[in-house]
Amino acid sequence: MKAAVLREQNKPLEIEEVQISKPGPREVMVRPVAAGVCHSDLHFMDGSYPYMLPTILGHESAGIVEEVGSDVTYVKKGDHVITCLSAFCGHCNKCLTGHLSLCQSPEVSRTADEQPRLHQNNQPIHQFLNLSSFAELMLIHEHALVKIREDMPFDRAALIGCSTTTGVGAVFHTAGVEPGSSVAVIGCGGVGLAAINGAAIAGAGQIIAVDMVDSKLELAKALGATHTINAGKSDAIGEVMEITRGGCDYTFEAIGLKATAEQAFKMLGSGGTATIIGMIPVGTMIELHGVDFLAEKKIQGSNMGSNRFRVDMPRFIDFYLSGKLHLDEMISKRIKLADVNDALNALKTGEDARHVIMFD
Amino acid sequence: MSRVEIESEVTGNVWKIEVKIGDKVETEDVLMILESMKMEIPVEAACAGTVVELLVKEEDVVEEDQVVAIIET
Repeated sequence: MKAAVLREQNKPLEIEEVQISKPGPREVMVRPVAAGVCHSDLHFMDGSYPYMLPTILGHESAGIVEEVGSDVTYVKKGDHVITCLSAFCGHCNKCLTGHLSLCQSPEVSRTADEQPRLHQNNQPIHQFLNLSSFAELMLIHEHALVKIREDMPFDRAALIGCSTTTGVGAVFHTAGVEPGSSVAVIGCGGVGLAAINGAAIAGAGQIIAVDMVDSKLELAKALGATHTINAGKSDAIGEVMEITRGGCDYTFEAIGLKATAEQAFKMLGSGGTATIIGMIPVGTMIELHGVDFLAEKKIQGSNMGSNRFRVDMPRFIDFYLSGKLHLDEMISKRIKLADVNDALNALKTGEDARHVIMFD
Repeated sequence: MSRVEIESEVTGNVWKIEVKIGDKVETEDVLMILESMKMEIPVEAACAGTVVELLVKEEDVVEEDQVVAIIET
């Protein structure tokens, strides 16, 4: 099969012929139909998050089940699925207490002694986040996918596999935004826009979108933002304080920078909660003013929207099909696998919402 | 000769150790692979030399900044 391989950081992906193993007892072979190109892929390309190389990037996809392992009963050949990197074991303390997205069990991967799922000329290709969706086939654990209804378009379903779940989930699950509350979202890429859409669905009163690109702020308005701030042209913290008369109940950082994480905390009112969704580079420390804790301000992380994806993703599809979740606007371009480097370069400029690879 | 401490950048589980004591390594050679939040994260040699101590074993949990190996240059 063809796949986009990352061999060296800060170098383009190479389209190469790669071999894929047969499904083990609890594994599923999926033929992806659509795969989103996500900003998180860039973090691993540029080395701000180290990863074993060579690897095949991509972690946001939807497709059709091609083959199942001998013990798999949840799906069968032909089922439509979304894949998710939050593969869960189902029996660790995190899973059993409802925190499936925090499962760290290695049993959803192959062991070091087994044949790797992906390889090339007998050399291992490291699977990316147990998925590797920039490829014509994916071999994944049965707990890394969810079955979906067949009237859901694959390209929009793919977005639910990461950006939607991460942004909407951060609002619903990690932060628990209440109706009427005030929300600011810093960064209006795919995840930030999903958080804005999620805040609108949750019934937030004020939803303030903060970005430096006017076109993204326009899109944010279409998804439910009540106010927009171009942080390149004005004092974002000052404006948020003025709009909310003293700070937000909830802020979300969807970029992954020290400065914006600190701004998210500074935008809070008393008792407010800042949720950091963005992937802050390994080794980066953030600084907060200690006295702010007297006002019961809180800061927390959110990983993949604290999801329970087999429950959440079908619900998000229902939201989309009923017009509440806006996914059509999130796709700026549909491309081929061979054009994946163009999509990654476009993400660096920050102009486009999202490119989606469509497989033949 | 000097001893260089190799630290883990993240909290995670040791998935696979790629070297053994006495191995000669070059800068950026992978000493071990950690698994953290579903990511396969390499711990690389910060310098060329000989692996003289491995302070963790496979399946151990390591903390951020924990010394996991020592290389003698």
